[in-house]
Amino acid sequence: MAGITLRQVTKKYGTLSVLNGIDLDIADGEFLTLVGPSGCGKSTTLRIIAGLEAQSTGDVKIDDRLVNDVRPSQRDLAMVFQSYALYPHLTVQQNLMTPLRMRDLNFWERLPLLGFLVPGRRAKMAQIEEDARKVAEALKIVPLLGRKPGQLSGGQRQRVALGRAMVRNPAAFLMDEPLSNLDASLRVHMRAELSELHRDLGATFVYVTHDQAEALTMSDRMAVMMDGDLLQLGPPDEVYEDPQDIRVAEFIGSPKMNILPGESDANGTITCLGLTLDEGLATPQPGKVSVGLRPEHLHVQPRETAECFSGRLTYKENLGSDLFLHLEMAGVENKAVIRAKPHEVDFAAVGETVWFKAESGRMRVFGTDGKRVALTAPDTKRKVG
Amino acid sequence: MGRNRAHIWFVGPAVLLMIVLLILPVFVAAALSFTDYSLGNSSFDWVGTKNYDALFSRSSYAKMFSASLTYVLLVVPISVALGLGSALLISSLRIGGELYKAVFFLPVMATLLAMAIVWEFALHPIVGIVNDVLSAGCDIGWLHALLSGSWLGRDPLSSWYGDGCADSFPLWLGDKDYALGTIAFIGIWQGFGFNMVLYLAGLTSVPRELYQAAQMDGADSAWERFKLVTWPMLGPTNVFVITISSIRSFQVFDTVEALTRGGPSKSTYVMIYAMFEKGVKQNLLGIGSAITIIFLGFVLILTLIQVYFVNRKVHYG
Repeated sequence: MAGITLRQVTKKYGTLSVLNGIDLDIADGEFLTLVGPSGCGKSTTLRIIAGLEAQSTGDVKIDDRLVNDVRPSQRDLAMVFQSYALYPHLTVQQNLMTPLRMRDLNFWERLPLLGFLVPGRRAKMAQIEEDARKVAEALKIVPLLGRKPGQLSGGQRQRVALGRAMVRNPAAFLMDEPLSNLDASLRVHMRAELSELHRDLGATFVYVTHDQAEALTMSDRMAVMMDGDLLQLGPPDEVYEDPQDIRVAEFIGSPKMNILPGESDANGTITCLGLTLDEGLATPQPGKVSVGLRPEHLHVQPRETAECFSGRLTYKENLGSDLFLHLEMAGVENKAVIRAKPHEVDFAAVGETVWFKAESGRMRVFGTDGKRVALTAPDTKRKVG
Repeated sequence: MGRNRAHIWFVGPAVLLMIVLLILPVFVAAALSFTDYSLGNSSFDWVGTKNYDALFSRSSYAKMFSASLTYVLLVVPISVALGLGSALLISSLRIGGELYKAVFFLPVMATLLAMAIVWEFALHPIVGIVNDVLSAGCDIGWLHALLSGSWLGRDPLSSWYGDGCADSFPLWLGDKDYALGTIAFIGIWQGFGFNMVLYLAGLTSVPRELYQAAQMDGADSAWERFKLVTWPMLGPTNVFVITISSIRSFQVFDTVEALTRGGPSKSTYVMIYAMFEKGVKQNLLGIGSAITIIFLGFVLILTLIQVYFVNRKVHYG
């Protein structure tokens, strides 16, 4: 078991920079998710930790051991690939045994035929088979041991890939989008199973995904990456509640956060679409701002009242338990989305105008550089937005 | 009723062409192999298995089988190994791979007959460049010592090179001990580029994640990764390359016709050349057909082996 530390890790391909100085401390036994849209550098980061790719500059440490020049196999990490990367010509059992054979048998013992003549090989092989069997039992894949990967379903291959990672008892598990080849229901099931596995093993998990739902549900901490930068690192609810960057705010959360154009004056008072908001900038600075409001913090009003936002309802998205209202608002580029309970919005019909208010204390304001700006506490004297 | 016969018009022409052009000739050859027919004769006699008896009893045909099989056993393993080796080396290159591919593929594209004439000049015992270069080396003291093994204290005359310097270098195509090997060398030179291209195609289909998985699992050396990933993943390519090379080697003809005409003393009397000599030059269609049928038998066996492997052993899907 081990912690992993990245210090100022960069990666350049020619002039193209894919990682711009990543600093990351992964604690021993932690489930850390690297999440971001495709091309953000999350897989590259993982592969640099694994040693499959070399960083351009910076240091990687595993348990305070500098591993910049250490081969992947010597880093004592195991990786689960998106495509599972099982050896198709070997049975499940042989797949599980391969990492152990590589580690425990020497060159002569691994030779076909000749290897059988090396003294002591039989005992080692018995131990390897025993270890592989234990892992297979833990993952409930014993009946599959004799099959080849081509005869397995996606979920079964996933388990075998996990098993192959587990047999060596590695210091940490690296997972590169391991669930993205599974169908939706199996993915949800495997999320729970992976979390359980993490709890049972107590090992460090570094998990790469573009799916924010996976990041939010499974991780102890999540690192949101974009354009080669690590934008925010923290527990899922903190990242969700307190995004420090507008890109994080928009990426995490589904449907995504509504961003409304606003303006602040010299006193720090913010006006948004003609309404004055109840919170102002902590350090007043006149200029444009972006006001972020999550769909669940917007509440539909049955009739027009003072200080309401309004928009034309273009689409009602019914999810059974929830209803998403898509609104076209004057002065806003993207459609705003409100999450509501179906019975609360019976009256709203597509094509009509809908009025809504924002929950107090829930808005997140970002400056023109995209960074979060601090707000004062809700001011009851100011008008409520 | 018209609709019921429509399918005949769709399938019929193709089936007819297939029968007339592909299947019938085989049966005609099979039938002719039991006769003494010559082209131009108005009639022929059935001679039973006489032609086949001759094939399996006369020493010249024993030489034919031995020449063909020796050629195949020389050319196939070497050209497959060279093809795989060069493909692996080329695919590991960052730059220059295209150049190597083009250079190694040149002999495949060249007309073999024209190339054979160039080789004939190069291998000429007196004016050929090969023996010129070899004998030029005899006068360079250290090179002679190195190649003849005399720097190890051995008698230079006991080595192939030393003996060649003292006496003369081989006649190559004119020497029955060297002719088949020389023809095989030209076959390898000409054919391995083709295998290389097939292997390069096979290598591109090996998923890169498998190599990375192998690296994570501890396959540190290139040899380990080759054993764990490349070789098994090339299974289908291997079967295809080996089958194609074997069939092509059984079919060797142009170099033999251009360079040795089956000689000296029938040492290069390969099957297709025998077929040509008997069936076309000597107009003995019966015996030519018998050789053809046996040849087809060899090809059929190779194809069946390929089908067996492709279906059973090397597809993991």
